[in-house]
Amino acid sequence: MHNFAFHRPTSVADAAKAIGAASDGKFVAGGQTLLPTLRQRLAEPSDMIDLSAIAELKGIKVEGDGITIGAATTHTEVANSADVKKTIPALAHLASLIGDHQVRQRGTIGGSIANNDPAADYPAAVLGLGATIRTNKREIKADDFFKGMFETDLAEGEIITAVHFPKPEKAGYEKFRQPASRFALVGVFVAKTGGGIRVAVTGAGPGVFRSKELEAALGGNFTADAAKGVKISANGLNGDLHGSPEYRASLVSTLAARATAAAS
Amino acid sequence: MDMTGEHWINAPRQAVWLALNDPEVLKQSIAGCEALDKTSDTEFQAQVTAKVGPVKAKFSGKVTLSELDPPNGYTITGEGSGGAAGFAKGGAKVRLEEAENSGTLLKYEVHAQIGGKLAQIGSRLVDGAARKMADEFFSAFATAVEARSGAAPTASAAEAPMAPAAVPPVEAAGTGSKGLPPLVWIGGLIVIAAAVVWWVTR
Repeated sequence: MHNFAFHRPTSVADAAKAIGAASDGKFVAGGQTLLPTLRQRLAEPSDMIDLSAIAELKGIKVEGDGITIGAATTHTEVANSADVKKTIPALAHLASLIGDHQVRQRGTIGGSIANNDPAADYPAAVLGLGATIRTNKREIKADDFFKGMFETDLAEGEIITAVHFPKPEKAGYEKFRQPASRFALVGVFVAKTGGGIRVAVTGAGPGVFRSKELEAALGGNFTADAAKGVKISANGLNGDLHGSPEYRASLVSTLAARATAAAS
Repeated sequence: MDMTGEHWINAPRQAVWLALNDPEVLKQSIAGCEALDKTSDTEFQAQVTAKVGPVKAKFSGKVTLSELDPPNGYTITGEGSGGAAGFAKGGAKVRLEEAENSGTLLKYEVHAQIGGKLAQIGSRLVDGAARKMADEFFSAFATAVEARSGAAPTASAAEAPMAPAAVPPVEAAGTGSKGLPPLVWIGGLIVIAAAVVWWVTR
């Protein structure tokens, strides 16, 4: 690991100030992606600004017709939250499937979506539920937030403060785990919402995306069979030693069917 | 890792060929390229900061052009070392074909290899990252070439109503002048104008 200056602000305003003053600063929330990267010396920020001591970024509350989760809330907290389990059980289920026990104790929802790993779980829920991302500057709709592999609409130095999830009528998430990394080889989030059916796919492409084909099929008939019958094109999907694009394409409809069957 | 693709560029083949050999255009087109210096007619020294997600590694490398066949194409190979991060090497065969509306079809075939830590932790992401970098490179390259060779829209305007995106000829001459040396683009413009006249009167 290279040397860096370490900051531990206790307010969002101080965190924003610290990154503004750094020559090449980086925020760290749970550090579950960033710390391994630093240990491998694959990045050398001049300053690390730790967001974990900021109380206003933490906590889960029922708000309006949905639930609002502070950006620095860990996966374990979301998985175990009675409010989340009651309002959007699929979201608690998704959080319980992320990484392993250690990752869930440290990793945060804000960190996960700001990093936007193409195989991360949370982006599927955020996009699938049509959530709103709140930052220290504005609110961003999920449909405008994810910009492909590791890229988001966040500006330099912008901090996610919370994510608001509207309550769906029904939602489900299923993932096919890559056994070594526990990332999603493919993960599919299906949601029946007031605004129609939303299906978000992670792990299969260069970034999380909505499947129009599955949304159309499930829009007419919200059943596992309807999802299973959808042929997904392998064009543009990821291929590696764990699975070809065709295999991933087939997983998308299979997992969509399972998620639909499990939706509650 | 192998990958192929093609891009249509709204500029004549000769202009695309010149740009492919111009370090300034190449530098603009490579995301994170800090320096690209010509060390001989066919060799360049490059410094690139590659940024993929949390990874940010500085690479320094050598770029060599071979199998030069103006204006049909060449092979470009590069080899870079990123210190602790590992190494990357690869090559691309680039072909230029004349296409409709006086444009050029640029086809490429890329072979790339990475090693070291970059490969260990990155293997899950290498294909996607490489595809994204190639896409970004060729679209930035197409934009740079189109900005420089203002002549192309004039040529297509002669045979079809001007596309909304086409740059008016006057403005085009302006952008051309800060790019290619005036003699080159004026020469190019004359050749293209002559070609259009020939094309419409034949």
